[in-house]
Amino acid sequence: MQQVRTRDAITYQILVAIFLLFVLLAIVVPLWRVVVTAFTPLEIYTRQGAPLFLSPTRWTAAAFQQLLGHPLFPRAMLNSMIITLSGTALSLILTIPLAYGLSSHTLPGRRVIMLLILFTFLFNPGLIPVYLLVVKMGLTNSFLAIILPPAVGVTNTLVMMRFFEGLPDELKEAARMDGANELQVLWHVVLPLSKPIMLTIGLFYSVYFWNEFFTPILYLTDRDLMPLPVLLRNILISASFNEYVEYDAFSTSALESLKSAAVLLTMLPMMLVYPWIQRYFTKGTLLGAVKE
Amino acid sequence: MKTMQDTDPTLRRRMRRAWIVGLVVTAILAQVVAACGGAATEPPVAPPAAESEVPGEEPTAEPTVPPEPVDIELWAQATVTEAGAPPDDWIAYDIIRERLNINLTYVILPTGGDGEAVLNASAAANELPDLLQMVSAANDPRSTLYRLVQLGLLAPVDDLMPLMPERVATHYNDPLLLSLVTFDGHQYGFPEPPPLPRREGLVIRSDWLESLGLEPPTTLEELLEVAVAFTEQDPDGNGLDDTYGIGGFIVGQGLGNRFDFILGGFGVPGVWNFTDPANFGLNVRDPRYPEAVAFFNRVVEAGVVDPDWPTLTRDDFRARWKQGLFGIMWEDFAALSNQSNYTPFDENFPDGAWIPLPAPTGPEGEAYYGVYTGRGQIFAVSQRAADDGKGEAIARLLEWMAEPEGYYLLGFGEEGVNFVLDEEGNVSIEGIDPALAWNSAERQPYTQMRNQLIFYNTPAEINARYPTYQTSNGRTMEPMMFLEFFQNQPWVDGRGIQVILPPANAADFDRFYNEGLMQFALGQVEINEETWAEFLAGLDTLGAVEYEASALQALQEAGLVP
Repeated sequence: MQQVRTRDAITYQILVAIFLLFVLLAIVVPLWRVVVTAFTPLEIYTRQGAPLFLSPTRWTAAAFQQLLGHPLFPRAMLNSMIITLSGTALSLILTIPLAYGLSSHTLPGRRVIMLLILFTFLFNPGLIPVYLLVVKMGLTNSFLAIILPPAVGVTNTLVMMRFFEGLPDELKEAARMDGANELQVLWHVVLPLSKPIMLTIGLFYSVYFWNEFFTPILYLTDRDLMPLPVLLRNILISASFNEYVEYDAFSTSALESLKSAAVLLTMLPMMLVYPWIQRYFTKGTLLGAVKE
Repeated sequence: MKTMQDTDPTLRRRMRRAWIVGLVVTAILAQVVAACGGAATEPPVAPPAAESEVPGEEPTAEPTVPPEPVDIELWAQATVTEAGAPPDDWIAYDIIRERLNINLTYVILPTGGDGEAVLNASAAANELPDLLQMVSAANDPRSTLYRLVQLGLLAPVDDLMPLMPERVATHYNDPLLLSLVTFDGHQYGFPEPPPLPRREGLVIRSDWLESLGLEPPTTLEELLEVAVAFTEQDPDGNGLDDTYGIGGFIVGQGLGNRFDFILGGFGVPGVWNFTDPANFGLNVRDPRYPEAVAFFNRVVEAGVVDPDWPTLTRDDFRARWKQGLFGIMWEDFAALSNQSNYTPFDENFPDGAWIPLPAPTGPEGEAYYGVYTGRGQIFAVSQRAADDGKGEAIARLLEWMAEPEGYYLLGFGEEGVNFVLDEEGNVSIEGIDPALAWNSAERQPYTQMRNQLIFYNTPAEINARYPTYQTSNGRTMEPMMFLEFFQNQPWVDGRGIQVILPPANAADFDRFYNEGLMQFALGQVEINEETWAEFLAGLDTLGAVEYEASALQALQEAGLVP
């Protein structure tokens, strides 16, 4: 009987391993192809397309040089960093107190506030009302138009609220007995215990702001405010339509190489940040998901 | 009395950390505020003493206070999207302010669906700019114009036309295009000349023909024979079975306009029958259409077409002809022969050469290259601008753009700095610093309006844009030769398609139409009288008859068919 269970367990483990191997391949192979395509020289691409394997000695960074060497690139990168950092900071500053307040079941009007928050989640106002609001507030051509409307995410607030609810009440009570007010309890007791959820939600927000593309083209008309995703897309559109222009702008890299390099460039900051907060990440999402 | 911080060292450390965090957050927010403050759009500073040089204004004996400059906001797409808008210190802004008394704000609209979304949002907010380009995700700017007119957001521009004699003569001189922007007897748009018309065509690898001892095909049957030879007889001589006769991809409805030359051989190119106005309707109703599709199926079944053609993207298609994968194709003249586009092919095949092919004739001797639709850009004036009395200033600006000063400045830059005019009046960059030349990457932000509002396809303009050059083995490459050859082929004038509005169920109709034809072409459905009748019946259930009737009515109302 024991032997049968073991054999089943082994079979199960093998099946899981095979399944995970496929999942891994489904992720790694396209990513690898993007990497190779980004580094494929133009002469190889025009002869045979993007190969799956290419000797690293033949790799070229021409596509990256073309993108990074664009005169608007430094400014676009700076703009994206400003939007990401300030947007994430503002979102956390607004989300944390809201989630903390809602985590208290004695908060007067809690149900009404929760309903109002959920209402915005269930019934999205759509593009036009938000556009009207932003325009009437005079926020066009300002980074505030990008970071203010999505500053408080409902999902993120609820996840964080559940995390706060899971913290032992005794700790907060002890602080209150020592004379701390609610802000002091939040600052000195709750937040030091909430690094996993803050990093997790912070990562969600930062990925959102880093990738944000549509609202900048909607609200920012000044070219000096263009963030990186908009610039990269403009470069790729240009490369696709270069029969209608007269200058030789894309002679060093294939369009596919430029696209792949753009994908890697936009991924890079998040890939660099993620390993540092990975250990908090899983913990944060799980802790927020279940209330014990 | 001691506080908790005084007694607890851990808490003190946390407090210090809190201060640091607070400072960091403050610094970030300060950066945001600074960035936001600096980013706010400020109106350009008015000239200290703007002289009254407004055209049409009577000079007065007594000194008058110069009128306040008129603020004009212009939204238009870019010619080179990656280059961005011109900087604030662009000399054209100063000249426009001094000469025209206009403070111009030029905003670049995104392309396609993104641009349409921006227009829709600003229209909903009644925040349309003074002068704007109609942008459409479906490349149908007239529909966008019509929609905004119906919403009452655009102003009639009939009164502005007499204020722009030069521009009307050079840009707004096509009665058909003018009729397309006229609703209820009023003109609501400025129809810019379309991009170079009839610029695509059929080309073949002449070096492959020579290596196999073949002549350029003149009929569809000969074209199929040559395609078979290109596929089976190793025309590049590399000893590998790695070539196809024909390459292509789908763009447009049905089998796409890149294979219209096959349908043209049967007298039925395109979706609509513009060749016989008395019998206007969908071409699929013509008995020659299934014959054309059957021939297309023969070509596909012969295995001479790059098999990825139904799903190939334009970029992949272009990469493939540069890799020498096929020897017959339909291509844009500039995408084929402009130096920047041709160089990769030239490097791979220094002895390779493409030559243009005339429209191949079909079994009854008919031949059409394709359908010429001639869609151009449309600009319009917002009702808000008209209410603010800006119409005359907008006309002044557009007229100046068509006069030599504005035309050259916005199309090519400053004479002597970015270009020179030769003795024949042609634009040249001879003796110009390459970094300052009008066609250098650095100069692209300064001529972003050229394809939208400036160029109107004069020979001098085209020669400047598509110059002759030498290939790597010393052969002379003339893009203009390809263009002229293509333009001189038999095309069907299908410009009337612009007045045909899509049916309410356009998505369903198009899907059925496209998938049905593709199934016939790929041999997934055998083509015979019965299956073709079923296909037509399916179209009728989706409202094809009503669609044809409304299209005919629209064409009749526009005076395009009797």
